[in-house]
Amino acid sequence: MIENQLHHIKIIIAASLIALLTACHDSNIGGETKEKLNENYANESGGTLISAMTGEPSGLISMIAGESASSAISSNIFNSLLKYNKNLDLEGDLVEGWQISDDQKTITFTLKPNLKWADNQPITSADVLFTWQAVTDEKTASPYASDFQLVKKAETPDPRTFKVTYDQAYAPALDSWAGLQILPKHLLAGQDLHTTAFARNPVGSHYYKLDGWAHGEYLKLSRNPNSVLGQAKIDKLITRIIPDNSAQFLELMADNIDTMGLDPIKYSRIIPARPELQQKLGLYKELGNSYTYMGFNLKHKPFDDVRVRQAINYAIDKQEIIDGVYLGLGINIASPYKPGTRWSNPNLSPYPYNPAKAHELLKQAGFTDTNGDGILERDGKPFAFEIVTNQNKEREKSAVLIQRRLKEVGIDVKIRAIEWASFISRFIKTGDFDVVVLGWGLGLDPDQYNIWHSSQQAPGQFNFIGYHNPKVDKLLEAGRLELNPDKRMKIYHEFAQVLLEDSPIVYLSAGYGLTAIHKRVKGIDNPAPPAGIGHNSQDWYIPTPLRRNEMAAN
Amino acid sequence: MQLTRQQSILKKALTNPLALAGFVIIVSVFILAMLAPWIAPYDPNDINVKAILLAPSAQHWMGTDGLGRDVLSRMLHGGQISLLVGLVAVGISTAIGILLGALAGFYRGWVDTLIMRLVDVMLSIPSFFLILAVIAFLTPSIINIMIVIGLTSWMGVTRLVRAEFLSLTEREFVTASRTLGAKDARLIFTHLLPNSLTPIIVSAVLGVAGAVLMESGLSFLGLGVQAPQASWGNILTDGKEYIQFAWWLSLFPGLAILITVLGYNLLGEGLRDALDPRSSSNR
Repeated sequence: MIENQLHHIKIIIAASLIALLTACHDSNIGGETKEKLNENYANESGGTLISAMTGEPSGLISMIAGESASSAISSNIFNSLLKYNKNLDLEGDLVEGWQISDDQKTITFTLKPNLKWADNQPITSADVLFTWQAVTDEKTASPYASDFQLVKKAETPDPRTFKVTYDQAYAPALDSWAGLQILPKHLLAGQDLHTTAFARNPVGSHYYKLDGWAHGEYLKLSRNPNSVLGQAKIDKLITRIIPDNSAQFLELMADNIDTMGLDPIKYSRIIPARPELQQKLGLYKELGNSYTYMGFNLKHKPFDDVRVRQAINYAIDKQEIIDGVYLGLGINIASPYKPGTRWSNPNLSPYPYNPAKAHELLKQAGFTDTNGDGILERDGKPFAFEIVTNQNKEREKSAVLIQRRLKEVGIDVKIRAIEWASFISRFIKTGDFDVVVLGWGLGLDPDQYNIWHSSQQAPGQFNFIGYHNPKVDKLLEAGRLELNPDKRMKIYHEFAQVLLEDSPIVYLSAGYGLTAIHKRVKGIDNPAPPAGIGHNSQDWYIPTPLRRNEMAAN
Repeated sequence: MQLTRQQSILKKALTNPLALAGFVIIVSVFILAMLAPWIAPYDPNDINVKAILLAPSAQHWMGTDGLGRDVLSRMLHGGQISLLVGLVAVGISTAIGILLGALAGFYRGWVDTLIMRLVDVMLSIPSFFLILAVIAFLTPSIINIMIVIGLTSWMGVTRLVRAEFLSLTEREFVTASRTLGAKDARLIFTHLLPNSLTPIIVSAVLGVAGAVLMESGLSFLGLGVQAPQASWGNILTDGKEYIQFAWWLSLFPGLAILITVLGYNLLGEGLRDALDPRSSSNR
């Protein structure tokens, strides 16, 4: 009996030794590979790219989900009518061409010939019409519906032609069609888009099709043989769901994922301090089309008073946030557009850090420290509020810096960081908040009707801070209908100026998108073109000698 | 008589080297935390964006965190929170536990059945998830954390007190007192309770360790003490992001929690050994 046990123990020891040895062996291979990483390789197809995301998509019909996790996956599965090329010019995606009528009110799209869904059914203009009907249907309640509501009439004269007519010439029209993913009518007609099984088992037309979806674990895509744009190089895309950013980073270091988004500390402190990571990871930095802001609930007192909002804007040191939280990887902005683009008004400058001015404005608004406790009061009530944000380290840290600066001018700030889903459902949708720290990711068209127009305040819509300025409403309406780019630019420059003076939000920083991609992935454009690092991901390839053990990856 | 018994127990407990070690640890942690405002080298919330994530050095003995705050100062101030939460939460749970356990053990019958089934129901819910669920509905704050931990961890004490009462009510001195016409309240508060005090103390000491861990866990998940206030749990969370790089952010709060919990456990175990005649006769 005892002997038997000893025998077992020996086996266990032997097995663990073998495991140890193989582990060492593996890392040796890894070491050799590192030297191989920078060699030149022939462009070949095959291989698997593994990435990670923190949140799981709620479904893959992005007009319903309206979240970044969903569109990150669905943009590999569905096409739109149009797309942006690497220089951000529009070109055909499903269409081979489009014509705009002389009065600018009608657009005629011509689909490419012989398009097929992944299930071999033909793609026709009826699918496009179906998709437009779905997105504008009130039952769908899509946040993107307002982009298409100005369409007066949509017609399908023949299976390859789709014609839309607007009430008035509509400037963001083409951009809106580049954002709408076309869905297959033959699989979805008559179904409720909110509950259909299609959202978890989609059939699309793009480079990839969904192969498997293990809830809470991964989504697996493989090449779609019917892809309307030809074949992508990489065979399989696996997206693992790893909610914790530091766990993702461990997986990246252990070579179990190929790519992830980085925070500034990982990008500029951790990876540069570790030669072995620098050797195997390519780091990419691009100025994103997004910014972080602190937004006031304009329906709550005292944030309805512009002097209070301006005072807070003066009291916050934006440069300190950019230096301390983003480690310099951010830009102080004064308009809600990507700096350097034509829509960003170069004549505006951000509110400088000026606590004296803040004091003065607060005093004008009736706030004084009557009881000498360092906190301002008005009508006997201390000036105190809560900043709510989601559990995003950069936003939490920004909030802590804001808290300190506002304390210095006599405002007592509390901070609450909560998980994304409950943040949206408890605070944003109910409007039950004082101040939020959040970010906006923007499209390429300057139209920001969804965010700032006073009509967009219903629960689930984007103007949740309750901004209402008739002048801004007018400018936003005009901007949508102005087709002359220079006049349009002037409209949005004026819009940004009014917004800055009104200060409904405090711009904190336009941040850089920071990405790490394993050097086994070749064909990446560096520096990134205007369309971003991922614009040619279908041409990325992984040379056979650099592939990881595909059995393990599966 | 009572006093000398308590004294002898204390003496016995403190001659146990492990219990003594636990006692010393807890007293030192307490002294350090209470002296935090005077001995902390920096203001715990003093942000310095020019000194982010500095390794431990002569200036910053435990380094600095992601906003350039001095970790040592935050550890000392955070200690106050962790210890306070531990004590108050256990105070609440012990008070509830004594009350319900006394009622159940003294009156028996349907009162006992009702209370003990309630205990069973509470015990059948994993307490950490219960606390998470409750906190999700309230604003996370120190006070709420203390109350919620207290309200969800009284079941052990209830069972303990009930068992003590069940055995004590059969004893002659209680019967005698009852025969002499003592009221229920007098029986409970002057006879039964003082005689069940020692196991309650042991369980409370061990309970503090659990509450300290619970607070750290909640703060780690972002549901406990809110920024910028420091607690060991939320320093640890900040450290998690940079564990491969800024080890000092994880190591020091982790050690502090470990040492404190160890201290409470050693003291609790030591007291139990001292109080339990069987275990002392074994020695």
